[in-house]
Amino acid sequence: MGNVQILLRQHVGAPCAAIVKAGDAVEKGTLIATPTGLGANIFSSVYGVVEEVTDDRIIIKPDEEQKEEFVPIKEGTKLEMVKEAGIVGMGGAGFPTGIKLNINLAETPMGEMDPEINPELPEGFKLEHSYILINAAECEPGLEHNIQQLEEQTDKVIRGVKYCMEITHADKAIFAIKKKHHKAIKILDAALKSEPDISMHMMADIYPMGEERAVVRECLGVNLTTTQLPSAARSVVVNLETVAKVAEAIDERKPCITKNVTVRGKLVGGNEAHVFMDVPVGVSVGELIEKAGGIDGEYGEIIMGGAFTGKSTELDAPITKTTGGILVTMEFPDLHGAKTGLLVCACGGSEERMREIASKMNANVISVCRCKQAIENKPGAPLKCLRPGNCPGQVKNNMQFKKDGCEYIIIGNCSDCSNTVMASGPKMGLKVFHQTDHVMRTIGHPLYRTLKISKEVSQDIDF
Amino acid sequence: MSITAETAKAHAHDPAVLCCRAEGGITIEPANLEDPAIFDDLVDSGLLNLDGCLTIEEVLGAKLKETCDSLCPLTADKVEGAKAPSAPEAEEAPAEEEAPAAAPVAAAPTAAGGVLKIHIGEGKDINLEIPVGALGNGGAAVAEVPAGAVAADAAAPAAEAGEEKVVGTLTRKHFKITEVKRGPETKIEGTTLYIREGIEQEVIDNQELVKDFHLEIITPDKYHTYSETIMDVQPIATKEGDADLGTGVTRVLDGVVMMLTGTDEGGVQIGEFGSSEGYLDENIMWGRPSCPDKGEIFIKGNIVIQEKTNMERRGPMAAHTAFDVITQEIREVMKELDDSLVAETQELKQVRRPGKKKVVIVKEIMGQGAMHDNFILPVEPVGILGARANVDLGNVPVCVSPLEVLDGCIHALTCIGPASKEMSRHYWREPLVLEALHDPEVDLCGVVFVGSPQINAEKFYVSKRVGHTVEMMDVDGAFVTTEGFGNNHIDFASHIEQIGMRGVPVVGMSYCAVQGALVVGNKYMTYMVDNNKSESGIENEVLGCNTLCEEDAIRALAMLKTAMAGEEVKAAEKKWNPNVKSTNVELIEAAYGKKVDLVENEQSLPMSQKRKEKYD
Repeated sequence: MGNVQILLRQHVGAPCAAIVKAGDAVEKGTLIATPTGLGANIFSSVYGVVEEVTDDRIIIKPDEEQKEEFVPIKEGTKLEMVKEAGIVGMGGAGFPTGIKLNINLAETPMGEMDPEINPELPEGFKLEHSYILINAAECEPGLEHNIQQLEEQTDKVIRGVKYCMEITHADKAIFAIKKKHHKAIKILDAALKSEPDISMHMMADIYPMGEERAVVRECLGVNLTTTQLPSAARSVVVNLETVAKVAEAIDERKPCITKNVTVRGKLVGGNEAHVFMDVPVGVSVGELIEKAGGIDGEYGEIIMGGAFTGKSTELDAPITKTTGGILVTMEFPDLHGAKTGLLVCACGGSEERMREIASKMNANVISVCRCKQAIENKPGAPLKCLRPGNCPGQVKNNMQFKKDGCEYIIIGNCSDCSNTVMASGPKMGLKVFHQTDHVMRTIGHPLYRTLKISKEVSQDIDF
Repeated sequence: MSITAETAKAHAHDPAVLCCRAEGGITIEPANLEDPAIFDDLVDSGLLNLDGCLTIEEVLGAKLKETCDSLCPLTADKVEGAKAPSAPEAEEAPAEEEAPAAAPVAAAPTAAGGVLKIHIGEGKDINLEIPVGALGNGGAAVAEVPAGAVAADAAAPAAEAGEEKVVGTLTRKHFKITEVKRGPETKIEGTTLYIREGIEQEVIDNQELVKDFHLEIITPDKYHTYSETIMDVQPIATKEGDADLGTGVTRVLDGVVMMLTGTDEGGVQIGEFGSSEGYLDENIMWGRPSCPDKGEIFIKGNIVIQEKTNMERRGPMAAHTAFDVITQEIREVMKELDDSLVAETQELKQVRRPGKKKVVIVKEIMGQGAMHDNFILPVEPVGILGARANVDLGNVPVCVSPLEVLDGCIHALTCIGPASKEMSRHYWREPLVLEALHDPEVDLCGVVFVGSPQINAEKFYVSKRVGHTVEMMDVDGAFVTTEGFGNNHIDFASHIEQIGMRGVPVVGMSYCAVQGALVVGNKYMTYMVDNNKSESGIENEVLGCNTLCEEDAIRALAMLKTAMAGEEVKAAEKKWNPNVKSTNVELIEAAYGKKVDLVENEQSLPMSQKRKEKYD
């Protein structure tokens, strides 16, 4: 095992401050960094010796031998234990879970719904119940660790859900899961037979169903604005893996020191997903790729996270509490400097990420448009989609690209918007790439172009 | 792009096309529909066929029968429960109007994205729609001007017409000049004006930046003389006694004008967006408010300023200031003239008409520094002394009376495209001010000059002042005019927006046509009049060709009256079509029962080599 690098910032908020120094011996579960503002405790994920503490990370040389046991966290109320364990949103956002769950949903009134995006809601609509919504959409194509965990650790996950309900005083919980996961749905359905307050909502296999507000809309039928939190719909959305971590913290007093990761792509042995459960935080990307078989020849880039929202990374980068996927892609096509437009969207990469992809494709970016629904709540803040997964129309952007003289466009849109781009782009003579193409081709997933399935699925288990 | 409920309402009678894939069984709402603003381009490019397409009001609330993809026109077979169409634009005026007026708009190559809509109406409306991001060929400009025709007067509510009130008068005493000669002193004898020999050196010495100066007397037989670019044309006028501009008596010479031309030491013309150098008779659009009239004598001063100062503010400023040395000497002489020499006396009245629709004219003037500036409110008509530079005033709105405008309160330093520049003389006989002042159906409360600054933040700074200024006037309608094209259209659009958002109908007037297509637009730009006269809709470098003329003022007034009466002004057709204007003019003639004389354009001039090579 190589050195473990534990980043001081693995969450939304300020970096933590290290409380260990070079030479200190640490155990699995030793608290090594604490929050300086919004943040969450960070623990050592291995037994070993701190080799170096830098501005942004703690580097630990692991011992040869690694025991299973860990230093348990302090006991306290359930919420205190969630905070103490340093749990953050493991779907990728990294918001400290102890803060998210610190809400009394029973006393949280329904927020005001914007009628413009909720034309079908009666005025003054109120939700009768309050909810924990478990995000099991695993929406980034190619990742499988969430669904595998749901299938294998159903009881632990349900325990976690009940703890979340208890902490937040939510009287209901709903699993949001894509209907394509037949096996997981059957397992979950069986497990929920004895849980009258927990149900599941099945969703179509389109991107982005896992966006927080999309989950709320799918499960509860209300559209939140880009600045509203799920609490406006009397709910809290928690990722499936996070829920399991809550159960571990409370039942086992286990700190948040491991992560489930899907490694996939252009690997020796094929492009199937390799799911690694409980990978110690801080292990390098390269080490995981080697474990999955190693890179198969030349490759395009390595992505940490998903194809839509992930970022390119390097072999020596460490995984964090929010790393979900490691994707090794095939090589990029070469556009030979062709004039290219970028359609930036809240659902895909930032403009910076899109430009990086364009540059790797040797494209000459001459025009940048933004999806009409991509809202920048604050200057510089990540874009948020006004109506995730429901297109506002794209032909105007295509006209702009055409006018600017683009030959190619690279889009980062959701399934529905990509479909709209395709309705006019090619007819105008624009050649369309999607930012996920190199990943989709690598893992054998259909490209994001036209949409052929319905956005609605029946809630019957009819398979 | 999907539309809002508000947009859907505004486009109730436009075709309903899905903006995105929509699944069978949904109830159609505005968010499912594409913005009709872009349909023309889609139809043109073959991406859309609107045959049999239902309107937006028909499909809203109806059920979509089957899953349809984006850009699918909603025809009767695709929806269930479509509503019956409402009376189509029933309230339209009785007259069959619908003539396209000429609204030219061209896709400026520099245009930013977006779609510009411009309406140009004449008693009717004119709509210009300029897809700035037109598909493919960037050149297609589009202007639509439909003419809604509604006799404007038909709509005029019988307001309790109060008495007309004369709030100010200005007397112009005209002195006839038939000959201009050089002599030992500047004087006027009978109808002969003598200009002192050697005065040139004083012009040169007056300003450090002036390096050379020549004076020429251009009589009609010398019109075919080569000239450097014409920087300004000015009336020769002076105040009697201590009267302020716009009041008392002004003396003016008829039959002669001051004409300033020039280059820098390197021979570079002092102008941007083209220059009007060449033979005078091939480059002046005779009779424009800005320009000399055929038959007039020009006292033409050709000035040479320090190299490279042609594009700086101080260059043109120095040229104008120095040239005024001669004009001022003539003014001094005029003050002494005996009243017996007065050929004609004219009284201009500022009339207020309480109870009539109150209107204001907002004139955007150049204020970007460099060669783009104007002197405001000099002591003498179109003088220098006492005036404040627009740029120094921060371009903020300055309210003046109509009589101040007609008395030469603007000394125009602007050297933008010759065809659309309003020379100093333009203000002296500003057609819109004159028309509005004389129109018994409106109450012109005043004129607001606002500069066009260089930087966008400053543009919006001043346009917001315009909005508040107009708001506190409690007007029923407003005109916004501009000269030039391009950068100044940003503030032009913003002025219209700031006024329009306060619920005041605004008629915009600008040269647009092909080359001057608007680069920005907003939803208040629904009433537009294009000042273009050129055959091809371009800045043809013929002095004054595309400036605001009486015919434009008449169209603008008719359009504003239509808008104030709540009548609809139709959108112009998509491509720039000069017929829109002519049809609108016909409608106005029919409605008012009077003939509107249209001015000639550059085609009436001898063809210059430059025009032959560059334009026609």
